[in-house]
Amino acid sequence: MGILGNKMSDQYNGAALVGMCGKECVAIACDTRLGVQLRTIDTNFNKVFKVNDRTMIGLTGLATDIQTVSAKLHKEEKVYRLEEGETLTASMFANFVSHFLYKQRFAPYIVTPIVAGLDYDSITKEWKPVMAGYDLIGCMDQNNTFAVGGTCSELLYGACESFYKEGMGPDEIFEVISQALLTSMDRDILSGWGANVYILTPTQLITKKLLTRVDQQLFQYSNLLSVKKKKKKKKK
Amino acid sequence: MGLLISRGMARRYDAKTTSFSTEGRLMQVEYAIESVNRSTPTLGILTKEGVILAAKKLVLSKLLAQEKMSEKMYLIDDHIICSVCGMSSDALVLVEKGREECQNYFYTFKEPIPVERLVELLSNTIHIPTQYGSSRPFGTSILFAGYDSHSKFQLYCADPSGNYASWKAHVLGINNANGISFLKEEYKDDMSLEEGLKLTLKTMCKTLDATHPKPEDFEIVVVKKDLTGGVQIVPLADKVVQDLIDKSGLVVPEKQQPHTFN
Repeated sequence: MGILGNKMSDQYNGAALVGMCGKECVAIACDTRLGVQLRTIDTNFNKVFKVNDRTMIGLTGLATDIQTVSAKLHKEEKVYRLEEGETLTASMFANFVSHFLYKQRFAPYIVTPIVAGLDYDSITKEWKPVMAGYDLIGCMDQNNTFAVGGTCSELLYGACESFYKEGMGPDEIFEVISQALLTSMDRDILSGWGANVYILTPTQLITKKLLTRVDQQLFQYSNLLSVKKKKKKKKK
Repeated sequence: MGLLISRGMARRYDAKTTSFSTEGRLMQVEYAIESVNRSTPTLGILTKEGVILAAKKLVLSKLLAQEKMSEKMYLIDDHIICSVCGMSSDALVLVEKGREECQNYFYTFKEPIPVERLVELLSNTIHIPTQYGSSRPFGTSILFAGYDSHSKFQLYCADPSGNYASWKAHVLGINNANGISFLKEEYKDDMSLEEGLKLTLKTMCKTLDATHPKPEDFEIVVVKKDLTGGVQIVPLADKVVQDLIDKSGLVVPEKQQPHTFN
C-alpha cells in the first residue's frame, strides 16, 4: 500500500497534466498539489518544466521520480547544448525522453511525461507543434491533438475529446485547456489545489495561474510552524 | 627556457611516463609541456570587471571548410569557458569530461560548479597518465576563465603534469616568454575590462610579433556580468576587435616583415 507497492505508486502523490496542440502554439497545464495519499502536503508543487525556448515537459506520477527525471533531462539537454553548440529541437527531445525511459525498462521511473514543443520547419516556414505522451517505460504516443496524464487521466480524456478542436490560437487554447483541466481535476481528490497553464508560442512563453477549488484535506506544515504559542502568565 | 636534455643519461629514462630519470624528472611530462610550448598561442587576463581569453586562430589551409565552432575556445558551462593550447584531440577529451562533471555537480547540488573545483577535477584526470602506466600524458595546457559566487572572477591554467594554478595573467604557446615578460610590466591589478582588452591585444601582438593585427586572426572571449547580475560569456565580434585595435595604438613598423606561424 505504500510508496513501493507497484500498483499504488502512481496514485501516491497525485497529479493532473494535460497538453494541447494549437495553430503554431502548444499549451500544457498541470495542477499544483503534492500529497501523500489523502493528505495534501504542498499546494505549490509545479509539474511542468521548461527544457529550452521551444520545449516544455510535464510529468506526473511519483513526485520524487518527477523531480529526478526532470533534473536528469535538464542535465542531458544542457550537455547536448554545450557539445553541439545548438539547442535540442522539440521532436529530438521527445524521442530522447522515450529512450531515456526505456533505459530503465526493468526498474522504471514511475512517471508519465508529456512533452510539448514547437519545431521550426524551414521548408514551409512554419512552427509545427510537437505533442508526445508516454507510458512509464517510454512508449511514445505522438499526435497533433492532445495528451493527458495523471490520476484523473480518464476524466481528462473525456473532457479533452469534448472541448478540443483543431487550429486554436493562443487565447482560445488557454480557455479550452483550462476548462478541460479544471473540470477533470475538481472531480479527483488526489489532484487539484491550484493549476498552472503554460502556452508556448514561437515568440513567448505565457504562464498563467488558475484559481481552483481548494477543499481537499489539508495538512500544512508551514502553518503549524508559524503559529505562536501564547504564554500564560502565572498569577502569584 | 627550453628543455635541457643531457645527452645519453636522460634519454634512457624518457620512454615511459612511469619512470623518473636519474635527475629526478619525468621526461614524458616535460616533453608534453614542450609540445604545448610549440603550439598556437593563447592568453588570459584577469580584471576586476571580468576575465579575458584570447587565442590566435589556427588557419591550416584555405581548403578547410569554415567551422561553426571554435578550435581553441570551448564553453564548459554557462559560467566557465576554456582556451586550449596543444593537441586539440587531447583537449576535447578533457572538455567533454569537464562538461559532464559540471552538469553532474549541478544535478547533485543545484548550484553551478565552483571554477576551482572543475579545474581540480580535470587536473586530476590529466595527472592520471603521468603516474599510471601504458598511456602518454595529455599534450595540452588549458586556460580556464570563469565566475562563481564564492571567488568571483578567476583564471586558472592546468598543464600536462596535472598541476594547476590561479593566474592574474598568463600566456601559453609559441613565444610565451615574450608575452609573459610583457605582461609582468604592463599588468595592473585594478584594470578595467576595456584596459584589459587593450592589454590583451598588445600582448597578443607581442607574442606573435604581429605588425598588422586583424580581427580575423584572433578570437577574444570575455567573461563578465550582465546588467541583471548574471554571468555572461561573450565572444567579441570582429567590429569590436577592430575598434580595439584602432584604440590601442598598435604601432606599425616601417619595414614589413613576412611572418609564418605553425
